[in-house]
Amino acid sequence: MSPSRVDAPASVEDYQFPDNAHTLEYARSQDEKDALRHLRSQYIVPSKANLKARKLAKPGLSDDEGIYFCGNSLGLQPKAMQTYIQAQLDTWSSVAVQGHFVNVEDSPLPPWQHLAETAAKSMARVVGALPEEVAAMNTLTINLHLLMSSFYRPSGKKSKILLEWKAFPSDHYAIESQIRYHGYDAKENMILLEPDDDHTISTEKILKAIDDNADEIALVLLPGVQYYTGQLFEIQKITAHAQSKGLTIGWDCAHAAGNVPLKLHDWNVDFAVWCTYKYMNAGPGAIGGAFVHQRHGKVEYDENDKPMFMPRLAGWYGGDQQSRFKMDNNFRPIPGAGGWQCSNPSAIDLAALNAAMSVFDQTSIDDLRQKSLRLTCYLEHLLDQALQTFGDEAPFRVITPRDTKQRGTQLCILLKEGKLKPVSVALEDEGVICDKREPGVIRVAPVAMYNTYEEVCHFVQIFVKALR
Amino acid sequence: MSNDAKADEPGTARSGGTLDVSYALQLDAADSLAHFRSKFYIPTKADLKRPTIAKPNDEPVSDESIYLCGNSLGLQPRSAADLIQVFLTQWRTKAVTGHFTDHSDSPLAPFLNVDDEAAKLMAPVVGAQQSEVAVMGTLTANLHLLMCSFYRPSTKDEGRYKILLEGKAFPSDHYTIESQIEFHGLDPKDAMVMLEPGNAAIPILSTEQILKAIDDHADELALVLLPGIQFYTGQYFDFKRITDHAHSYGISVGWDCAHAVGNVDLKLHEWDVDFAVWCSYKYLNSGPGAIGGLFVHERHGRVDMTKSSEKYRPRLTGWWGDDKSSRFQMTNNFVPRPGAAGFQLSNPSALDLSAVVASLKIFEEAGMHALRQKSLQLTDYLETLLTAEELVGPSPPYTIISPRDPAARGAQLSIRLEPGMLDTVLECLEEDGVVIDERRPDVIRVAPAPLYNSFMDVFQFCRGFRRACELALDKKEFQD
Repeated sequence: MSPSRVDAPASVEDYQFPDNAHTLEYARSQDEKDALRHLRSQYIVPSKANLKARKLAKPGLSDDEGIYFCGNSLGLQPKAMQTYIQAQLDTWSSVAVQGHFVNVEDSPLPPWQHLAETAAKSMARVVGALPEEVAAMNTLTINLHLLMSSFYRPSGKKSKILLEWKAFPSDHYAIESQIRYHGYDAKENMILLEPDDDHTISTEKILKAIDDNADEIALVLLPGVQYYTGQLFEIQKITAHAQSKGLTIGWDCAHAAGNVPLKLHDWNVDFAVWCTYKYMNAGPGAIGGAFVHQRHGKVEYDENDKPMFMPRLAGWYGGDQQSRFKMDNNFRPIPGAGGWQCSNPSAIDLAALNAAMSVFDQTSIDDLRQKSLRLTCYLEHLLDQALQTFGDEAPFRVITPRDTKQRGTQLCILLKEGKLKPVSVALEDEGVICDKREPGVIRVAPVAMYNTYEEVCHFVQIFVKALR
Repeated sequence: MSNDAKADEPGTARSGGTLDVSYALQLDAADSLAHFRSKFYIPTKADLKRPTIAKPNDEPVSDESIYLCGNSLGLQPRSAADLIQVFLTQWRTKAVTGHFTDHSDSPLAPFLNVDDEAAKLMAPVVGAQQSEVAVMGTLTANLHLLMCSFYRPSTKDEGRYKILLEGKAFPSDHYTIESQIEFHGLDPKDAMVMLEPGNAAIPILSTEQILKAIDDHADELALVLLPGIQFYTGQYFDFKRITDHAHSYGISVGWDCAHAVGNVDLKLHEWDVDFAVWCSYKYLNSGPGAIGGLFVHERHGRVDMTKSSEKYRPRLTGWWGDDKSSRFQMTNNFVPRPGAAGFQLSNPSALDLSAVVASLKIFEEAGMHALRQKSLQLTDYLETLLTAEELVGPSPPYTIISPRDPAARGAQLSIRLEPGMLDTVLECLEEDGVVIDERRPDVIRVAPAPLYNSFMDVFQFCRGFRRACELALDKKEFQD
């Protein structure tokens, strides 16, 4: 992936953090200079008291904010959520079934039949796609199955799928079951990319695997950002290479969408899927996203007015709006990703997604990335410094690539045996939320939307203390 | 038509004592479910017309509308907002830890478990065991998923590959079936066996016709896929007889219960249905496009990992169908949860689920049996008022195209108007604050929902409908 600015740093050293970088004063000074710091106020940050409370009723305790570095797992709630959801409930309770069509003047929402399009448009900006190439629909794995039904069409010995060795379980299961569905043996037809040394998979290895197996590969399916290590794959390069061999390639962008700039259209990606509850902050299990390249979404009509389009598992909502209610049972798909929609989507879920995207609409993924690069490098810098104080007794190491082009916001920290428990307890006591993976990993994701240098500074202090 | 103008003045005694307003009031007074109405937001006539959410201060008080459109979009339970607030509070105070944090005062389970909570509440509504139900996806996506499991056509000589469906299936069902057939490289024209009604004007499919079609194509049918209740006519199909008959040939049967769930008292387990799918936004009042549901009969949901082959029914899978205890261990060894839960793919929307749970708690309180009993009464009352000669004369300008046998229909009555009347009738009804549904060119669908509609609603609708028909006829005469 090429940096979006010519002068984007390649690594932490390029930032040349000063000697006092570990101080709170320094951290605060960076926050003051942060052009995106105003975005934090658009989110609700749980307080330490909130996190500890076991009753929902307001405890009236202090609002000493927790440090939330878990937006890679579940994004924080945008304040707009309340307004958008209330607007949706009010529309439903007042105009009921008419809500599909009527425009409610003081609502931030369009009529229900346009909710998905509106959300898709906002998401398209974030993933680098044309609006018609994106659909807000279903959930990640359903979208993956729907798109694989179109893009994974094994035939003869061209039946294999190239994926990573430790794919997120849902991807692994989806792929496995799709292969079996076509009557092939799953083990024989899944080519798993093993990591090089640690946990990351080099581009060279991927390209070689493509070269070695091109005759038999029917689909390449990789994560834009690997969930465990935080590795950002070279989507453009790998896509180009796969396609140069005539292969179809899809990307699971669950950890990439809203995290790093994507240019799905320009990179000619065949299809992609993502969820919206991580970096897009739409809420747990919120309606997902899908991308289908323009060239695959074409709908043309022959001399008998019969539509010609990429085969797919279809449903009425993928049908052209004009004819959708004609009920003549002649499927005329919407051109683009929208043609893969099956059912009418949840309006309230879309209200939530639109609320979440309204914050993205106020900035750009490129600006977010600029902050994110620096913020994560700052975290890395402080961790590097801390490691020096341990000498040979390194109690942890970061397994995410140091090359900033190969990562997003997340750093994956592998702890020495026995350290996970005390570290987890200490973090929890101090109201720090990170994701932990037994037996020894914590994932720390300071996101550009709402995290600060000060939080990173505090985190490292707490983390180091817990390690001693 | 012209002598019924006084028929429904309050207090007027007519020979049909059951045709005037006092009878409606009587029925409402005796209705043990009447109190459920107040659990819902009934749009007022002003609400329907207002172009904003905000109410102008000087807006006069308005009557409630007569909302008989719950078969298209159910009304909002007041409790939906409450549970949604609970969810929002969980999310904002706990963020990711909300997945597993139990609050002692929460009416909602943590995010990780709210899907099971919903399934538990959904099961009795469809007459199933909890393990046979999953609240997930959307109707058509669920249908595709289940067809990938249950529609496994054979292309060999003695193979079964055809699907029996209705000729005028709801478009989504038609496209699903068509695209599934095409996916297997078969020809829809050949593989889709379509049931056409004998009488196009009253397009009801008799059970005998369906059974005969099964008989005629028994060797070739891989699947029978029918709507529990037909969207257009409101016909309630004989689940048990049709399922049994198909099973006698070893043919699987799936049911699209979009219009049946929350409407009629389904017994999917007892009727031995193979699978079913539905949406939650009609009679289940969970909001437009709300997360749907599916049923997989217990016998299809078994999981035995010790077997050497077919440890579980083949299906398209995802992590959310994985065994709950090991789901987060990321072993990539799929062990499905037994039952419908093993067909789940992704972690579902907790927001959507909170709306569904709110609605289903009302069903839990009311009970499907009681709801169906009231519904039979309501729809019977509707039919009476629509057909009573004292009210509408010997030949009203419309025909009820829904079955006349109450056991063969749900809440909805579909009414075909004489040509050229629809637009005027709709205009008048709208003026009157009546919300119903139309199917062009000349059908209206009227569905009194037992949870929130009253006998008075039905009475007022019929009165308004009679006036609207009169006006439409006058207009026609004038134009002819």
